[in-house]
Amino acid sequence: MLRFLFRRLVWLAITLLVVMSVSFFLMKNVPGGPFDGERKLDAQIEANIQKKYHLDWPLWRQFAHYVGPFNLDDERALLASGDGGLVLWRSELAEGEPTTAFGGVLAGDFGPSFRYKDFTVNDILAQSLPISMLLGVLSMMFAIALGVSAGIASALRPGSGIDLSLRLAATAGIALPNFVIASFLVIVLVFMLPLLPVAGWGTIRHMLLPGFCLGLVFAAYIARLTRTGMLETLSADYIRTAHAKGLSSRTVVMRHALKGGLLPVVSYLGPATAGILTGSLVIERIFFIPGTGSHFINAATNRDYTLAMGVTILFTVLVYVLNTVVDMAYTLLDPRIDLEDE
Amino acid sequence: MAPTDIEGSSRWALDEAEAKRLQKEARQFKGESLWTDARRRLRRNRTASFAMWFLVMFGGTSVLAPLLPLPSPKALSLRDDAAPPEWPWAEPAPLPKPPAKGTAATKATRNLWNNGWRHRTTLVVDAADTAALERAASWAADLTGRAPVVEVHAAGSGGLEGYLSVPMLRDDVPRVDYAELSDGGSVNTWDVAASEGRDAFSVISLSLIDAEGESFDPALVSAAQADVRGRRLRVLLSRATSVEGRAAWLVEAELRNGLAHPVDVILVGGRIVSEGPGLTDAARSGEQSARARLSEGIEHADLGRRAAASLAAAPIDGVRYAGTSYEDGYWPFTGLVGALDDLLIEARIAIFGSWQTGNWMGTDSKGRDLMSRIVWGSRTSILVALIASACSLLIGVLYGAFSGFVGGRVDNLMMRIVDILYSIPFIFVVIFLITMVQGLAEARPDLEIDRELVFFLVIGAIYWLTMARVVRGQVLSLKNTEFIEAARVMGASTLRILLTHVVPNVLSIVIVYLTLTIPAIMLFEAFLSFLGLGVEPPKVSWGLLAVDGTQVINPIKSYWWLVVFPALAMGSTLLALNVLGDGLRDALDPKMRGRS
Repeated sequence: MLRFLFRRLVWLAITLLVVMSVSFFLMKNVPGGPFDGERKLDAQIEANIQKKYHLDWPLWRQFAHYVGPFNLDDERALLASGDGGLVLWRSELAEGEPTTAFGGVLAGDFGPSFRYKDFTVNDILAQSLPISMLLGVLSMMFAIALGVSAGIASALRPGSGIDLSLRLAATAGIALPNFVIASFLVIVLVFMLPLLPVAGWGTIRHMLLPGFCLGLVFAAYIARLTRTGMLETLSADYIRTAHAKGLSSRTVVMRHALKGGLLPVVSYLGPATAGILTGSLVIERIFFIPGTGSHFINAATNRDYTLAMGVTILFTVLVYVLNTVVDMAYTLLDPRIDLEDE
Repeated sequence: MAPTDIEGSSRWALDEAEAKRLQKEARQFKGESLWTDARRRLRRNRTASFAMWFLVMFGGTSVLAPLLPLPSPKALSLRDDAAPPEWPWAEPAPLPKPPAKGTAATKATRNLWNNGWRHRTTLVVDAADTAALERAASWAADLTGRAPVVEVHAAGSGGLEGYLSVPMLRDDVPRVDYAELSDGGSVNTWDVAASEGRDAFSVISLSLIDAEGESFDPALVSAAQADVRGRRLRVLLSRATSVEGRAAWLVEAELRNGLAHPVDVILVGGRIVSEGPGLTDAARSGEQSARARLSEGIEHADLGRRAAASLAAAPIDGVRYAGTSYEDGYWPFTGLVGALDDLLIEARIAIFGSWQTGNWMGTDSKGRDLMSRIVWGSRTSILVALIASACSLLIGVLYGAFSGFVGGRVDNLMMRIVDILYSIPFIFVVIFLITMVQGLAEARPDLEIDRELVFFLVIGAIYWLTMARVVRGQVLSLKNTEFIEAARVMGASTLRILLTHVVPNVLSIVIVYLTLTIPAIMLFEAFLSFLGLGVEPPKVSWGLLAVDGTQVINPIKSYWWLVVFPALAMGSTLLALNVLGDGLRDALDPKMRGRS
């Protein structure tokens, strides 16, 4: 287990390094920065801005500063000198000024946002991530509850009308983009039968519709997987044994079949998390939810590169960690699978 | 058979007839190939075969879009609101009156009635009555060699205002064939005109544009000729007399980099060494208007000039020439597809004339016909899906096959890279990339980055992962199967083994995953279009249509048709693709053979 975790960690580090350096150097090589406005800035102002965001540094130093873990900032750094070179120790700090030895992504600091003045990327993430997380968890709950129950319902009576209609619904859910489904639901549930508010964030009633729309596609996938898994399990010998023992069919399904039948669903949870993060880009935009996804889209179109990179890196880590957790959970559920087998 | 022959060879001994019969039987026995079996199984799968027919029909509709009598996907109407669907048998709602003559009857408003054929020159005449309009139509047919489409839109004060639309095809558009111009990198302006002699052309303008795009004073051209690398020479030529059958009355030539001695016929002061007019101030204003007319396309095929001249020479009773307008076609395909489209448009004109369908699915908020937009948008979506999946196919198959064949450490490393890429939330990286490419394209137009191509490639580049895994697994398992070993033992060459045993087996699974990748890519296109990063208007794609639908949702008026019809088109196609993919997997998976 430890070995497995260690290896995952190493691969995570490599992945992160690749993502960071590719996006960083691409970003630096694209002409036109976040500060290009309608009006051309005064040379002095431009120089000041460049200085503030360290754009005047040599590229390698900007990258090292961005990645961390050492803070290379002149003002408070432990490890810097003014002319672009490095010295090991700076002793001439003013009295009482705090020294920040660490900084950069590795120290959990994504730097300042280029567009939202006075905000660091960390501030923005701290504000928006809980919202996105809440939305994600909610839609995941919807997806699992809806998908698993639909899957079981159709697996118990394969070929019946319920089964066929549920399967059709699931295929339709997979085939339609979620913003189309969302707009249908908005027309029906908000305008035709005014049950829910249109958009915004704050109360539970605001969260229901976005969570549902976001979870629907994954519910469809989960229903499919549950159905296949349950059908396979229900025809296994130990289920027949359980029936023969005289257990009620409810106990057989809930206690015996479900565990085996849900295995494919568990392995799908990793991709589903990534998908929910992706889908939240659209859903947050439709329902005007101030989550990380909408910040990311704004950042990407406004060339707020630090924010965009920060979100990308954060989500990469998130998806990676969740995938690892899912893999570990999988071995707990299915002893036949060994982590060392990779 | 005699009972005494129980032992020995007798048991295997066959009489002549028996042996022949058996041999014949053996010869007649044919193994069923994977594909026949798959076809049989697919045909038996009713939903999958239905999905296949549906897709074939839909693809046919999309390919034959220019043939269908649909309204233009981009023509605006004067209605300022989305119109609901109307029944096919309903009388089409009358169009609002065009502005009265002499007020704001500009070319722009006339073009609102453009019906979206590829390129169209519209002759506008004022006609006193219908009979005069018919006379005008036959006159226009004589003049252009094409049957005009007569549209009467409103009765003006003095009579009808008739629109004679003369559909023109791409060949009529002024065009410069660069191959004709380029002469191994050494071109001068007179080479352009050389084929017909310099007297046939006069130079309207000649300007050297430097890298920053600032235009260069023609007076300084001779001084600059020493340094023309990296610059573009722009020549506007006009024909001294119009040539029948040759559309290019005005030719714009851009001679690109690498001109060896491009300006040796230009003297200091901008005067041209020939009888042609120099670039005096008067000529310059003429140049401006010529340029404007060129870009507006009024002089397209020289039709306007000829029409005016012809009508002045031989007036028709009750008909007055009002103007000419030209509009580009919607879909600027070139090459083979463009040629096919031209044929289809001709066929459409021959079959349907000016008749076109009503707004059976309503119009969008700009008054464009929704049904037409869905049909034309399917072309974009299909194109995106095809190019991107071809891209993913290429990368995935090569990568997976290589990894599987080589095996060992290399295989391990390559698959680990795929694992890493899998765990990156790609959408973020892709959006990041696309916005940056967009920025690059805006900042450096000289690089000529084709944004849509990048878009296709990026999508293709992230969908190859599953393909690579699947192909690698298949190759790996095939490498050690008995039937390949048997083939090798029987002395089959490697090539034969590859072609007859490996490829068909890999191919089946590749096809299955391709059918499942295409809907995923179409969804992704819709997703990117929703975020404003996909196909750009005025092009249409299903993603854009779906986005248009979601954007007009409001509590005051429900534009349900804008949501329902694009969603139906998209949903049914994606559903069909998914069903077909599942069906193909069932049909082609050898493990499923024999079971049903």
